[in-house]
Amino acid sequence: MTLPAAQHTEGKKNVTFRVFRFNPQVDSKPYFDDYTIPVERGITVLRSLNYIKEHIDGSVSFRAFCQAGICGSCSMRVNGLSQLACTTQVWDVLAKSREPGIIKVEPLRNLPLIKDLIVDMDPLVGKMVHYSNWIDSTMPEAKMGIKEFLISEEEFLRYDKATDCILCASCVSECSILRANKEYVSPAVLLKSYRMSVDSRDSMHEQRLAELVKDHGVWDCTHCYRCQESCVKSIPIMDAIHGLREDAIESRGKHDTSGSKHAEAFMTDIEKKGKLIEATLPIRTNGVVWTLQNLLPMAMKMIMKRRTPPPPPLVKSVKGIKIFRTMFREMTEHVKQDQKSHKK
Amino acid sequence: MKRYAYYLSCINESMTKEVDRSIELWQKDLGIELVKLHEGTCCGGSNLEYVSPKHFALVNGRNIALAEKMGLDLIVSCNTCLMTIRTAKKKLDETPELKREINEILKKEGLEYRGTAEVRHLLWVLVDDVGLDTIREKVKVPLKNYRIAPFYGCHILRPSTVLGHDNPRDPSSLDQLIEALGGQTIPYTHKNRCCGFHTLLVAEQESLNVAAEALQEAIDSKADFIVTPCPLCHTSLDGYQAKALKNAGVENSIPVFHISEMIGLALGYSAKQLGIKRHIVC
Repeated sequence: MTLPAAQHTEGKKNVTFRVFRFNPQVDSKPYFDDYTIPVERGITVLRSLNYIKEHIDGSVSFRAFCQAGICGSCSMRVNGLSQLACTTQVWDVLAKSREPGIIKVEPLRNLPLIKDLIVDMDPLVGKMVHYSNWIDSTMPEAKMGIKEFLISEEEFLRYDKATDCILCASCVSECSILRANKEYVSPAVLLKSYRMSVDSRDSMHEQRLAELVKDHGVWDCTHCYRCQESCVKSIPIMDAIHGLREDAIESRGKHDTSGSKHAEAFMTDIEKKGKLIEATLPIRTNGVVWTLQNLLPMAMKMIMKRRTPPPPPLVKSVKGIKIFRTMFREMTEHVKQDQKSHKK
Repeated sequence: MKRYAYYLSCINESMTKEVDRSIELWQKDLGIELVKLHEGTCCGGSNLEYVSPKHFALVNGRNIALAEKMGLDLIVSCNTCLMTIRTAKKKLDETPELKREINEILKKEGLEYRGTAEVRHLLWVLVDDVGLDTIREKVKVPLKNYRIAPFYGCHILRPSTVLGHDNPRDPSSLDQLIEALGGQTIPYTHKNRCCGFHTLLVAEQESLNVAAEALQEAIDSKADFIVTPCPLCHTSLDGYQAKALKNAGVENSIPVFHISEMIGLALGYSAKQLGIKRHIVC
């Protein structure tokens, strides 16, 4: 059976790749080069870039290796979104292009640019080192190689997904907080930290957590879920961040920070009134001095606009608070029981 | 008149009272009735889930069960409350033993979480249930002279496995609403970005930088105002605007409206009735 002519031509199109170019040794500022090439249905962005490099302009620089979504080398922004060039179909991207027939290719954000589509991964690796993203075994050296270090399936399931990370840095590129401050730990490093910290064979849990709760660490995440949404392996990165925060709260005392105090205020207020007592939240999170220094001018404006949250005594409890509180406390007992049986 | 259970978000009961005030003004004009859920409690604001996952399930299972008892869907007008309650619903629907555990406790109040009520954002109800044609018909004062920057915020879009209404990479429901009200949406790359609200008290500088970027793009694009479906985004972009822009060295300002106010204006209510003068930037 022969295909109708229209369908046949639909399988091949001329596509323009608008490629970000910048060589800091030569160029005073970045620019874009357009390369229009014939592309067949089923061709990936990476294969198109390879074609451009081979047939049109050998100076276009990008990083690639496995071409199969395994190594994580070819992550770049395709039409604004960080993804792997080797697993991204030209046809799929084209269907959503703002400018018909044009695909914009740019380097990842939030990492220093080396040339064209290549970014420097060293700052990310440096953070992995800083936050001890490896396992230092609890097994005495004498026993190593003699005895297997087994873990349960239940334990493995806790970090199974996290081990899928190929360090492509798409999440790093999409992170809202990293965009605002390059010192932020970054989602990939939080994911790796979680993966190591929940591993029962690891001996560096405390050391890692102590670093994670400092400034630019786990509490600076703004829950925007951009990392998770852009993950090329569909890893629930926010679950890992929540896991680390849960861990930090459990270790409270040792790791008492504004982040954990802020989070715990929600629990306290819900039990007390069924709703958040917003007026004192800044003080409970950061203390009186910080609040006066940082929020006083804004508080004055808010008072003028009658926009301030009511002081705690005027916060009315939700209807039916008594029965709610009983139920809330019953759940507290359940949690205590869970913790006891977990310890056993 | 289609009825819904309406979840009362903490912030709308304190700092952004104008949201619920404006909804009350026009809900009947659009043929909907939002029944306030006075027994509902704080959802945990995207924090409770890691402070105590079980309390998180109980509290939000209860919030949904209250709506189910009334036989109504639960409508939310804060993005974070929406994402938080929907996250709990997903967890409960996927974990029968957790559902059993919370239901044992909820019995005390004569409640049961069944998983039958949908948890939806007010914006979704307007676009999907009321419908854009009905909204267009009801407009008295079209927003035709306004260039509007649609700021969706994060938790109405992401995680898409929990939200799933709009395409998180290219959302459209708010754009559609603006156009139905006669307004002109501007191309706005920050439409699906973050406002920085959730770290305002923990990493203030980072939050202000995040907010400043969103504000600056709207200002540079010569938008008349930003509109958002989330009171938390509003607080970050309006309440903290002066600080964020000063920090970024920008000498300008831009008003930020809630969707409920924008609808009110198009339906002929005054800025005073809608409480717009309560904004920090007017």
